[in-house]
Amino acid sequence: MTSATAPAELDHATGQIHEAGAGRSAAAATSILVLPGVLWLAVFFLVPLGIMAVVSLGAVDQGGHVTLAHPGLGNYTHALDPEFLPALGRSIYYAITTTVLSLAIGYPVAYWISRYGGRRKILLLILVMLPFWTSYLIRTYAWMTILRDNGVINSLLLDVGLIDQPIPILNTDLSVILGMTYGFLPYAILPLFVSIDRLDFSLVQAARDLYATGRGAFLHVTLPLTMPGLVAAGLLTFIPALGDYVTPDVLGGAQTTTIANLIQVIFTTGRDWPYGSALGFLLMGVTIVGTLIALRSLRREVIGVSA
Amino acid sequence: MTERNRPGISFNEALEEKLAQANWSRREFLGRVAAFGAAAALTQLLVACGGGAASPSAGPTTQATPQGTTTAEATATPAPTPVPTPEKELFVYNWDQYIGEETVQKFQDKYGIKVTYDNFADEAAQIGKINSDGKGGGYDIHYPASTWVASFVTDGRIMPIDHSLIPNLKNLSAAWQNPAYDPGNAHSVPNFWWTTGYAWDPRDVPGSPTSWNELWNPARKNQMSMLDDIRECFAVGAFLLGFSPNTKDLGELDQILQKLEVQKPLLRKYNASSQIDDMIDEVVQMAHCWSGDWVQMTYTKPRMKYVIPSEGSIKGNDVMVISSGAPHPIAAHLWIDFNLDGDISAENTNYIGYMGPNEAALPKIEDYIKGDKRLNPPQSVLDELIELEYLAPADLAQYTDRWNALRA
Repeated sequence: MTSATAPAELDHATGQIHEAGAGRSAAAATSILVLPGVLWLAVFFLVPLGIMAVVSLGAVDQGGHVTLAHPGLGNYTHALDPEFLPALGRSIYYAITTTVLSLAIGYPVAYWISRYGGRRKILLLILVMLPFWTSYLIRTYAWMTILRDNGVINSLLLDVGLIDQPIPILNTDLSVILGMTYGFLPYAILPLFVSIDRLDFSLVQAARDLYATGRGAFLHVTLPLTMPGLVAAGLLTFIPALGDYVTPDVLGGAQTTTIANLIQVIFTTGRDWPYGSALGFLLMGVTIVGTLIALRSLRREVIGVSA
Repeated sequence: MTERNRPGISFNEALEEKLAQANWSRREFLGRVAAFGAAAALTQLLVACGGGAASPSAGPTTQATPQGTTTAEATATPAPTPVPTPEKELFVYNWDQYIGEETVQKFQDKYGIKVTYDNFADEAAQIGKINSDGKGGGYDIHYPASTWVASFVTDGRIMPIDHSLIPNLKNLSAAWQNPAYDPGNAHSVPNFWWTTGYAWDPRDVPGSPTSWNELWNPARKNQMSMLDDIRECFAVGAFLLGFSPNTKDLGELDQILQKLEVQKPLLRKYNASSQIDDMIDEVVQMAHCWSGDWVQMTYTKPRMKYVIPSEGSIKGNDVMVISSGAPHPIAAHLWIDFNLDGDISAENTNYIGYMGPNEAALPKIEDYIKGDKRLNPPQSVLDELIELEYLAPADLAQYTDRWNALRA
């Protein structure tokens, strides 16, 4: 029963279903439909990535141009400099905190929409996606209005008399984590919803019939069956959060620099694309390792069980 | 942008008010939108506030380039005086809110040349676009800091200025006829100049501070900001330690880094652009900033003060240059000449608060700008101020590395 829900998340599983149903020509037709996507990714993702990979081996000459005269891994050894560790650590801390908060907040919301949304499910999902109608940047600036020393929260607390001096919220770790959690929450809710909505609730009822407590049924039935959604939601939150530089830049302060902020400085003011590329690839390496660990745990917990 | 969206003021009103006052915020805003790829959302905002500024990502590269060859021949035989040219268009690339309110319209009315006036978010965006095709990215005119001129000439990014097409060059004061960064103004024409210092709020800061050390005062922990600018921050450290702000000495740079590391825990922010808003909204009491930033703070809070610190400080200027690939070189010369007109130059200064090098403009510049020793320091003060020099990539990397160590 686990396998019925889990692999449906995976693309190749859907492909197999089509193949079995309509035969070889349908598979060929599907391949043609996939072609634009593959081409798009190849031209606009893989090619630039390849260029950055080559650039990361180069250097900047006296005129400020990228040169590959003496290719080497010097940029990578430079990028491993421990001076970046505090910023990298901060990035990971923000990303993990944001992910945990997004899952903790998103799961009940997704669960509620799926179980009790009824006919209004679509409307509720649109509400979740509503923030995307406005640029993330503008919404982040709006948070400044709320968090500033003379902003909504501080004014309210001052008026109520809870504080007699504004509490600095903006430009702190708290404001960055708040902003990031706000920004990435919809990315967590949507895959969670898909996963929970696909859950056959008669299984939960069966568990209850077999004298499982509500908590037991959740921990042993609902949670494992929605694990693919949790992992997907976690990845969709963690990966962009790790590379986010806009939120720490807008809502952060002098003490909240992330590794992505530093990469941005190296590319723009520093005008050192080779070094920036190398740092970017290192960050990508951290992301890939994190993703692999998450996917392995998914396999062990879900797919592994049924195999 | 919206942080000053006060009760009773609609978003658009607040935005419009802000855009009128806080050009740095808008630059930054544009930059972030460009970086985030959300130009569509921004366009509406710009239309709503009547700025007429196009998205910085929507450069005229494609439509401009093909005309390059035909019009280049026209430069070979320049007309002796500026007359209406066969060129019907002009592409200008400048900082946002960095020109008189009506200058573009007046130029269009006078010459019948349609101006596409695009703005860039920050210097990195500007240089990136100009360097994208090695000859100006399709723009005729752009406005780099003077420190870029030498490398632009070496790399063939800009063309020599034909002085016979710009009679108004005579309006430049004597000091600006032969600047060190571009002898004889051969490849550039000075636009505006500024000083660096810090602004403070007299409500929180007693007396009249004069030293850069005030920005190291632990009593003001969390209530100060520095510019998010490598060179400007290192310059402050250099002045305090008695070094040149253009030092390339690694030992000195290390000492400056140590100095800045002492300061970092005391800072609320390294400000790329919101130094104006943060002072107005009293988020910080003291902010490292440029002279024009302070002028714009005083539009909302006239009590704000500014000082050019006693240990020394930075002066800078930007220039108008013509891209080597300019599709409309004659119109570009007309543009420079037009902006050097005494009346137009004064209107530019009166709108944005920065002083220009134009002697003919002086009688028409508002007294509060002209008469302010901080905006228009006497020559004796100006002589003491230092210009940031262009750093070769290897030297800049030494700064960037230390900056990253500081910020990490």
